[in-house]
Amino acid sequence: MGKIKRALNLADIGRFRFWVQLLFFALLVYGGYLAINIGDQLPTFGCVFEEGRGGSCYLMGFQHQMATPWSRLFTGRGIGVLIGLLTFFGFFIIFNKAWCGYTCPLGTIQDWLTILRRRMGIRDSEYSAAVFKRLKIIKYVLLLLLILIPMAIGNSFFGLGKLNHDFGVPFCMVCPGRTVMPLFIGDPSQLAIDFSSLTKMVFTTLGMLVTGVFFVGSFLKKRFFCLFCPMSAFHYIFHKAGLLRLIKDGSKCTKCGNCYRACDMGIRAIAEDLESRNIVKDDCMMCLKCIAVCPEDGCLKASWLGATVYEATAEGFYKRMGDEEVEQ
Amino acid sequence: MLHLAMEAEEVLGRIGELPGRCKSLKYFGERLLAFSRGELPETTQKRLGTMCVQVPEEILHALGATPVRLCDGSYAYDRVGAEFMPAKSCPLTRATMGKLHINQEFWSDKLDGIVIPTTCDQKRKMAENLATMGYPVINLEMPATRDTELAVAYWQESMKRLAVQIQDITGTKLTRRNLKRAIAASGLSSQLFRKLQRFQQLERPRLYGVDMFLVMSCYFIDEQASWQEAVRTLLAECEEYPADRQVGQPNSPRVLFTGSPAIFPNLKTPLLIEESGGIIVGDESCSSSRILYDAVAYDEDQLYDMLPAVADRYLKPCTCPCFTPNDNRSRKIAELLETCRADGLVYKTLSGCLPYELEQRTVSESLPGDRGPLLFVETDYSPEDVGQLATRVEAFLESIQNRRRKRN
Repeated sequence: MGKIKRALNLADIGRFRFWVQLLFFALLVYGGYLAINIGDQLPTFGCVFEEGRGGSCYLMGFQHQMATPWSRLFTGRGIGVLIGLLTFFGFFIIFNKAWCGYTCPLGTIQDWLTILRRRMGIRDSEYSAAVFKRLKIIKYVLLLLLILIPMAIGNSFFGLGKLNHDFGVPFCMVCPGRTVMPLFIGDPSQLAIDFSSLTKMVFTTLGMLVTGVFFVGSFLKKRFFCLFCPMSAFHYIFHKAGLLRLIKDGSKCTKCGNCYRACDMGIRAIAEDLESRNIVKDDCMMCLKCIAVCPEDGCLKASWLGATVYEATAEGFYKRMGDEEVEQ
Repeated sequence: MLHLAMEAEEVLGRIGELPGRCKSLKYFGERLLAFSRGELPETTQKRLGTMCVQVPEEILHALGATPVRLCDGSYAYDRVGAEFMPAKSCPLTRATMGKLHINQEFWSDKLDGIVIPTTCDQKRKMAENLATMGYPVINLEMPATRDTELAVAYWQESMKRLAVQIQDITGTKLTRRNLKRAIAASGLSSQLFRKLQRFQQLERPRLYGVDMFLVMSCYFIDEQASWQEAVRTLLAECEEYPADRQVGQPNSPRVLFTGSPAIFPNLKTPLLIEESGGIIVGDESCSSSRILYDAVAYDEDQLYDMLPAVADRYLKPCTCPCFTPNDNRSRKIAELLETCRADGLVYKTLSGCLPYELEQRTVSESLPGDRGPLLFVETDYSPEDVGQLATRVEAFLESIQNRRRKRN
């Protein structure tokens, strides 16, 4: 047992994650061709606009359901909404926010762009704490909008008229998943502006813009899009129920800041917060890179259902830094 | 330098009498003795003098410079410095100034620059004095705080400037490859040091605290690769140390040491503790554990990430009392008391060393209630107070023993 644990703690999480991400990418993008489909309530971005998908994002169905008139929410339709939410919840708690760090195809594409940037020797952008704090809010606004806009289709707010059905899945219309994912099966059809109605035209134009920003942004800044992702905000509501946990023991922390330097999301609290035991913050994608660079035994660790699966050790730290090996 | 060699020999002789020491520690004593005779390790590289732990050795090594730490611990040089330095200056500054004053010809010839971080007032003014004396001083600007974005950015810029200044001296450019190699080399030193620390912290320690100070004082002045080789040999010996034996006695009080630097040959207080039957199982000081405990971690192996990562190593986890706030230090001491299973804490300050003296109160108040007794001593390099100091140390160790007896 001790041996397995040690081997795990010495593991190169970067390489492990690269292959897991590739596996999930293949599963979520091409799984359909092998008759695999793990469901439509996934807490990650398998995209419904992509034909070969092996599972798709819950936000699509969720937005549809939000368009249900309130009066009908308390009938059989309501049960459907509840089952959808419960299925999502069931999937979510298994990996917690690691759905973002290990499975999300959009996240994986961004990580590939980061590899490209690094190979080219182009510097990563860093945001000040103040800017970061302001940007954080956007994903919650998007989450609120993707609930409220569809609601205004089935219901009338303050006696105003109802929206038409072109507003049905507002987030999907601007999500880079819709435009980018189909490209991987050679389908560029979503990369277009739809002139069939004014609403569609505006949404698809926005979608094209967001796609451009997605590529440029995530090339220059690690996981740029994730800063604004409403799925990440949605996750955060449920993160305390996650079976996978990221735990910090503040008494062992020297505030050396290695974890912050490694953090693709630029979360300062990982280094500065000495009080919280559960150190998962709303931007966290549980990539666990912070554990890999922590040189203090047991300061940071990941546990699943209470069992430690990966833990910071001095030995692992030095090994991963590529230094010559000295058994600690 | 004759006087000095005598001082070094005397201290080494006393250390040598402690029972149960590893034989391979001899290397470090010999290196330090040679240094006190004026012998520096041979090098074809430019040699840069350094002071304080914040000088980034990775950058110096990457740029092909050999660092030699000038902070001095000898009473003989302290006497020299006392002739022209204020009485209230700390013995470390006096000794360092004394050394560089009386041997100016020697050191001017050996050094191509002296990197001095702007830490405490004494070091800052020493930098000015040395510059007036004609030494090529490089001020490494350091912020007074550590936890703010502003401080981090300032320090990172300061590091870049230092790299450029050293580049001009050595004529080597900082590249991705040479910095990466230097980071790995220092990482190895750090790794070896932590391994040593584990032998010091054992239930039955295999190294004395003074031995650790010896090894680390040697790191100041030695060539990196030879030091690493010697530590490997020492580690191998520690590994084979009989499991039923230890340094000191099985019931020796375990002491954690903190405060102003203890630099060879001024190992007065630590040596008294261990001669009186205590064992130093850990320390929190810039002359030992603070030097190599931390290592650089970068995310992307490009200069734009490695250089700030180097800067981070010397700022963020640093527990130097020149920083404010400095709760990092109290937390570190509390953590060490626990991991080293120490029975008590000795807090030593050098007279004139205000930052440590001022921090004594906050540190002692922030420690957990069951921390054990605390001994606060103020001393200098002179042998005059040894008798009085010994009495206090013995009483302190006795109080630890009493406390144990009461518990059992």
